Amino acid sequence: MRANVWSGRNTVQVENVPDPKILNDRDAIVKISSTAICGSDLHLYDGYIPTMEKGDILGHEFMGEIVDVGRGVSNLRVGDRVVVPFPIACGNCWACRHELYSVCENSNPNAGLAEKMFGHATAGIFGYSHLTGGYAGGQAEYARVPFADVGPLKIEDGLPDEQVLFLSDILPTGFMGADFCEIQGGESIAVFGAGPVGQFAIASAVMLGAEQVIAIDQFDYRLEMARNRAGATDTINFDEDADIVEQLKVLTGGRGPDAVIDAVGMEATDSHGVLHAAERVKQATRSESDRGGALRDAILACRPGGIVSIIGVYGGLMDKVPMGALMNKGLTIKTGQCHVQRYMKPLYERITKGDIDPSFIVTHRLDLGQAPDGYETFKHKQDECVKVVLKP
Amino acid sequence: MSSRTAITVNRPRDEVERLWHSDEYRPAYIDDADAAVSFRTAPGDRGTEIHVDLEGGTTGGKLGEVVQKLIGSAPLPKVKDDLRHFKQRVETGEIPRSDGSPEGEQAQRKLKQRPAQPLSDSEAAKAGAR
Repeated sequence: MRANVWSGRNTVQVENVPDPKILNDRDAIVKISSTAICGSDLHLYDGYIPTMEKGDILGHEFMGEIVDVGRGVSNLRVGDRVVVPFPIACGNCWACRHELYSVCENSNPNAGLAEKMFGHATAGIFGYSHLTGGYAGGQAEYARVPFADVGPLKIEDGLPDEQVLFLSDILPTGFMGADFCEIQGGESIAVFGAGPVGQFAIASAVMLGAEQVIAIDQFDYRLEMARNRAGATDTINFDEDADIVEQLKVLTGGRGPDAVIDAVGMEATDSHGVLHAAERVKQATRSESDRGGALRDAILACRPGGIVSIIGVYGGLMDKVPMGALMNKGLTIKTGQCHVQRYMKPLYERITKGDIDPSFIVTHRLDLGQAPDGYETFKHKQDECVKVVLKP
Repeated sequence: MSSRTAITVNRPRDEVERLWHSDEYRPAYIDDADAAVSFRTAPGDRGTEIHVDLEGGTTGGKLGEVVQKLIGSAPLPKVKDDLRHFKQRVETGEIPRSDGSPEGEQAQRKLKQRPAQPLSDSEAAKAGAR
């Protein structure tokens, strides 16, 4: 089958590889109808996530049709249409039973590797380095889905792929970011990053009852989408004015946002020149892996006693975290890779009810064979790119 | 280097002990390594803790040293592999396999991963996949 594989920094190529097969009883094989490129794939592309090997198939946002099931899978049949969540979760361990699917204790066969970096292993993830298990990803024609009796969501109406594909990752991720903010109704929420996850975080904050949702980015076309499609009430373009903290104070009557969502992660554009330059040098020499521009501003901007919700992906170590601000303002940090399985069904219901149509973020549709172009377009935000969907 | 490690399995203690000593689930490496194994009920709803001490066996760890010399690799990561396999099989019914690590968790695999793409038919057979 054709698959998009990692071939070194800034290089992906579509190659012919063996078709996946059932390895365990609880596996299923999915013939993929649509898949996408994620912002976190760019961290792999840019070479910031360790333990990548040439030939690793990328991609963790995919859906399609079941073409084979192992003997232990009774809830799915050949022909079923499913969306597959990106964390691989067994459903039986303590973590899964407490709906902490992205930290499943049993699904990572490279737990020993992950322990060295993080202290403990976390769940296996499709197509996301050997730290998360070395599972082949979904930017391909077929994928093997472990624990298929736990993960995949059956799609039983005729909704087009683009309306449900993002249940695999970014819609639940944006929603979890907003969920973390404990919105009761009437809050001011600031969302750092108006990429696909940021767009869904904004839309989710609106759905959950926030009164004011402020989108922060440096690209006008993304801020326009945030305002016109996702429901943002205010926007900040920090390219025009780099002092995000002050602008957020003015927008919130001097109080600061009740909660801030970091939907940017480790490759932040830092608005503060010298610190940004220093960080880029450290990243280049691999002595610091994570750039903290967005996170620092988020911590400083958040009102005292508020919540910092971190859904942007970080991989390693960061210098110069404002611990003093964090501690003295009494902030709560909530974070994690999204526990997708927890949110898929309720968000699917919201889609079928018409509360949200996630397809608004799709700007580019390419054949799987054009994946390398897709990565470049997405990385450099060419052609007003927001989200690239690939069709195998 | 530490000689002790532990893991928690999400099952009641009598079930864990019974499975540990059964033919189907007995962890081969830990048995051969002559380690001291003890079981404890974990707090709250967490199940059972299994504690392994490589120096607590009848030979005071000497057998473990011999095994290590023969195998040529550190024993504690292999003990951890055995514990993980036991927990995975008891809790989920299988050992998770990826394309990078098709045999499941193995300490010696860490430096020599397959690329994360599907196995050929002969590779799958060799990896012991069903």
